[in-house]
Amino acid sequence: MNAQTSFSSKEIQAASSDQYLNGLLKQCQGQAVALQDSETATWLQQVRDHASSSLAQSSMPTKRDEEWRFTDLSPLMQHDFQADGEASVAPSTVEGLTLPEASTTRLVFVNGVYSHQLSDVTDLPKGVYVGNLSCMSAAHTYRLQNYLAQQEGSEELFTALNTASLTDAAVIWAAPNQIVETPIHLLFLSVPGETPTLSQPRALVVAHTSASLEVIEQYTSLSESENRPNTGELPARQGELPARPYLTNAVTEIWAEENAQVTHTRVQQESQQGFHIGKSAITQSRDSRYTCNAISFGARLSRHNLDVFCHGSQSDTNLNGLTVIRGEQLSDTHSAIAYTTPHCTSDQLHKCIIDDRAHAVFNGKVFVPKAAQLTNAAQLNRNLLLSPKAHVNTKPQLQITADNVQCSHGATVSQLEADELFYLRSRGLNESDARNLLIDAFAAEMLQRIPTPSLRKTLSASLREGRGQKAEGRG
Amino acid sequence: MIRENSNVILSVRNLTAEVEGTPILNGVNLEVKAGEIHAIMGRNGSGKSTLSKVLAGHPDYKVTEGEIIFQGENILEMEPDERSLKGMFLAFQYPLEIPGVSTLDFLRVAYNSQRKQQGLEEMDAFDFEDLVEEKLELVKMDPSFLERSLNEGFSGGEKKRNEILQMALLEPALGILDETDSGLDIDALKIVANGVNQLAKPDNATVMITHYQRILNYVEPDYVHVMRDGRIVTSGGKELAQELEERGYEWIEEEAVSEVSAQ
Amino acid sequence: MTATTAKNLIDQPYKYGFVTDVESDTIPKGLNEDVIRMISAKKNEPEFMLDFRLKAYRQWQKMNEPNWFHASYSPIDYQDISYYSAPKNNDSEKKQSLDEVDPALLETFEKLGLPLSEQKRLSNVAVDAVFDSVSIATTFKEKLAKEGVIFCSISEALQEYPEIVKKYLGSVVPVGDNFFAALNSAVFTDGSFVYVPKGVTCPMELSTYFRINSGETGQFERTLIVAEDSSHVSYLEGCTAPMYDTNQLHAAVVELVALDDAEIKYSTTQNWFAGDENGKGGIYNFVTKRGKCQGKNSKISWTQVETGSAITLKYPSCVLVGDNSVGEFYSIALTNNMQQADTGTKMVHIGKNTRSKIISKGISAGNSTNSYRGLVKMGPKAHGARNYSQCDSMLIGDNAEANTFPYIQVDNDTTKVEHEASTSKIGEDQLFYFAQRGISEEDAVSMMVSGFCQEVFNQLPMEFASEADKLLSLKLENSVG
Repeated sequence: MNAQTSFSSKEIQAASSDQYLNGLLKQCQGQAVALQDSETATWLQQVRDHASSSLAQSSMPTKRDEEWRFTDLSPLMQHDFQADGEASVAPSTVEGLTLPEASTTRLVFVNGVYSHQLSDVTDLPKGVYVGNLSCMSAAHTYRLQNYLAQQEGSEELFTALNTASLTDAAVIWAAPNQIVETPIHLLFLSVPGETPTLSQPRALVVAHTSASLEVIEQYTSLSESENRPNTGELPARQGELPARPYLTNAVTEIWAEENAQVTHTRVQQESQQGFHIGKSAITQSRDSRYTCNAISFGARLSRHNLDVFCHGSQSDTNLNGLTVIRGEQLSDTHSAIAYTTPHCTSDQLHKCIIDDRAHAVFNGKVFVPKAAQLTNAAQLNRNLLLSPKAHVNTKPQLQITADNVQCSHGATVSQLEADELFYLRSRGLNESDARNLLIDAFAAEMLQRIPTPSLRKTLSASLREGRGQKAEGRG
Repeated sequence: MIRENSNVILSVRNLTAEVEGTPILNGVNLEVKAGEIHAIMGRNGSGKSTLSKVLAGHPDYKVTEGEIIFQGENILEMEPDERSLKGMFLAFQYPLEIPGVSTLDFLRVAYNSQRKQQGLEEMDAFDFEDLVEEKLELVKMDPSFLERSLNEGFSGGEKKRNEILQMALLEPALGILDETDSGLDIDALKIVANGVNQLAKPDNATVMITHYQRILNYVEPDYVHVMRDGRIVTSGGKELAQELEERGYEWIEEEAVSEVSAQ
Repeated sequence: MTATTAKNLIDQPYKYGFVTDVESDTIPKGLNEDVIRMISAKKNEPEFMLDFRLKAYRQWQKMNEPNWFHASYSPIDYQDISYYSAPKNNDSEKKQSLDEVDPALLETFEKLGLPLSEQKRLSNVAVDAVFDSVSIATTFKEKLAKEGVIFCSISEALQEYPEIVKKYLGSVVPVGDNFFAALNSAVFTDGSFVYVPKGVTCPMELSTYFRINSGETGQFERTLIVAEDSSHVSYLEGCTAPMYDTNQLHAAVVELVALDDAEIKYSTTQNWFAGDENGKGGIYNFVTKRGKCQGKNSKISWTQVETGSAITLKYPSCVLVGDNSVGEFYSIALTNNMQQADTGTKMVHIGKNTRSKIISKGISAGNSTNSYRGLVKMGPKAHGARNYSQCDSMLIGDNAEANTFPYIQVDNDTTKVEHEASTSKIGEDQLFYFAQRGISEEDAVSMMVSGFCQEVFNQLPMEFASEADKLLSLKLENSVG
């Protein structure tokens, strides 16, 4: 990789006064590579430069920033993350992570870098393109200009950081009227190296008029020592090295054009030492339907920014979220839905299961301006606390200036019901089984919404696995 | 189906209308006979949805010229409920959510308003429920829908199917479907299309306003009209829709422009 | 379906706006300790009562009128109000029989649909009729007495049962609780008193009907209901007032005490004069209502249908002290024209496993403002406590305003608090949808409003549920367009 070629001429002006941020930005710029095709290279470099320069005015967020009030980034800032993408992964290692439903519609990225060897797009359904940005021909990339890094909010700090190094990216492109029934699997692996690793995965999904597709976006880590999937075990077992810290800063942009339908499942299972900052930005046109199933199990500190911009009447948005955390984990979900036209609907249900001393944050914004009359927005956040030290901050935030709308919001914080536990135990279940049954039931509502059966199965297993170990740990 | 000597159900002549002083229909002419299915297509803002609202008598629109003859009578002065009771049905582009009013109650009151108009006795709650459940089959809806508040929390597909259910129940002489197909996934689209086909009879007529060509793969129109700038600029058979799908609207617009310049 | 029909719906005349011509014993305007002594003396009160009043007055003097609510009005001159007015011939001693009551008063209540005479009175509801803060008559007293239930005016209770009054008065709403409660504690003239002894289920609905008649008198009633262990009582109050173009202050205090396993259900239909369509005149309804679930497993349930008053500030609340006690609040608040309502509840959870439920339905039409304000507080010892709140607003027309201010304060981690809120509207679009299905505007509005309020209507005593439904329809006739 020839890093020199990618250095921006604006690099010096683009330096932020924030030392830490500046360091990260340098890493990003160092990683960005010029593409083969010169025309593409030019506009892509403009996109990167724009992102870099937008960072000049920024500094790392602190708890004084309203958007980061409950999420302290100082543990992340203790590390000097290096964008050193190279890592080799044996195909056998990822076998356990592939999905039979998407065996020939899979793209794999290791530390944000495309892996041709691990990917398989040999049998794509008709009417859809799935591939890596830097492998695309100029004729194809040309069409991406109106979409890539063109979402609202793309100057947000972490998104801009990702864009500044934009080289490899998963691209999914469905032609008009194409109904793609095979799910498309994007697998983003982190393989932390000696020094804390920075990886910046990127994806772009465009569903044209009346097209329909399903995408599964999965983040997980392989520990270097054995190169095997992270199953989320809490303390490293004796004799093993503790997991290494790394930072995944992911950005996914989705465009659902007129009458299109996108089902998006996002699974985040980073390691207990990983940091994960993720952005999902969605733009919806009239009559489009978007569903997000965001499942988050992992990371020491994780943040998911989910921004949906509805730019046409009768768009329909469904946001389902499940966060399952324990130990010292912190998981933060910030969602925002913004309307500009009437007659749109959205339904959001976000659940958190919080154990030990873990901390969950939920902030759900819905903006309904005057132009968005007859909007129908429902939002509910349910939290299940499994330990007295588990902690949640929830803040539904509806900003409604239209007057002819139906909007509702709700938040609940609860524990396992003593009555229900008692009932189960009176039927002969031991305490641990009874607890697990109730926790599974709480999570099941969300897992059931995932359309891919094999993934649904794996996820319910992971859910139980983590708890099983914990119960043993408790003795 | 086109039949000779069928009754004219709807005749729109030189219809001109405005909303808050802005002209939005500029002389629409349309004749719909019993047994026929018409499709009206056009870009955003071409006036196609406005036409449906003007026909149904939405209070926001002011008719400035022309006439609407429905079942042999000029209905311009009629209130929306009078037009409905006369047999005009509009399936809404955006069916409204009405909390607190159950779907069943709504359907019953609507159905009985019509019976009252016809000088019939109101149907009692039990008989009515039987009748509705029979109709539910057509749109593959679960009877539990009836207990829920009208359209509240319904998915886009459920709302549109509910519109077709209402049409099945009220058996109108003219069903106007205002973009009933938009926002539907393929399965819901097929159900809606099937419902429309089942309800089309020799003595009634259907006008389908649509933004997308896809529904015309399932419901075969006798006539296709294209609207632009508040007028019907071209009409043809079902092959016109296919041509639109392939060539877009530009060629029609170019033709329209050259027509105007030729004049 | 035009703006005119819409306006007609709103402009329904207030049919209780007449004035009864009775001679009143009204003291001069103004407030000082002498006035308070005079009120107490006129009512021949025991010593502790005068002390109570003076203590309240002294605290009140140090307090500021609140301004945190979502309503505005011109300042009240507390020296320009007369603090005592009673129909003459109806001195502090209650009449032994209705024959002795001024026929003009009986006629007034008959006109209000509440006949008091034995032939005409409601067969299953005992009524205490309060006219300008003075209790006129109480029906069914003897029948209730047989069960040991005391139902009389608070003045009478102070004469007959001073020890019960002394024990509970001010125990739920302390004299210095808030500005208006302090004022009430200092100057209240009359109100209702209910005492249900241990194990008794009150055999009929108890009801107080408040009638404001006088134009320049402040209205300060005081109601106290005590339910002993395992007793049950359902109580209903109704309110109307004549139309004056000046504003009148109504600052009542209601205290409820429920002991172990007791249950009190308190329902209100408030239809004070709301002022004219331009906001002239009407009652300022600044009321403190609070119930204390003192005993374990006790339950207090508030239901209110608020349709009147120019301004309403009212938060019927429950203090859940006893373990497993339950508080409920069901409310419909309807505002029209220039009315302003800031109403809601407070649920204060102190004991273990206490439960509360809030269902609030606000309907705002015309140029009115309707705000829900509620507090749910989970104390540090309220382990396992739960709350469910649902606050729905409905806007009618384009100029009404609805707000929701939920406050949730949780001081322990074993509780469960659920809050849901929604806003909907009856406007042209909704009416067009109904019309397109052949349903008339009147039917459409009544279907939508009844449907919206159903959950609360279900809580009202049977006799009043349909009355309340009619009241709402009446108030809203032609309010859309």
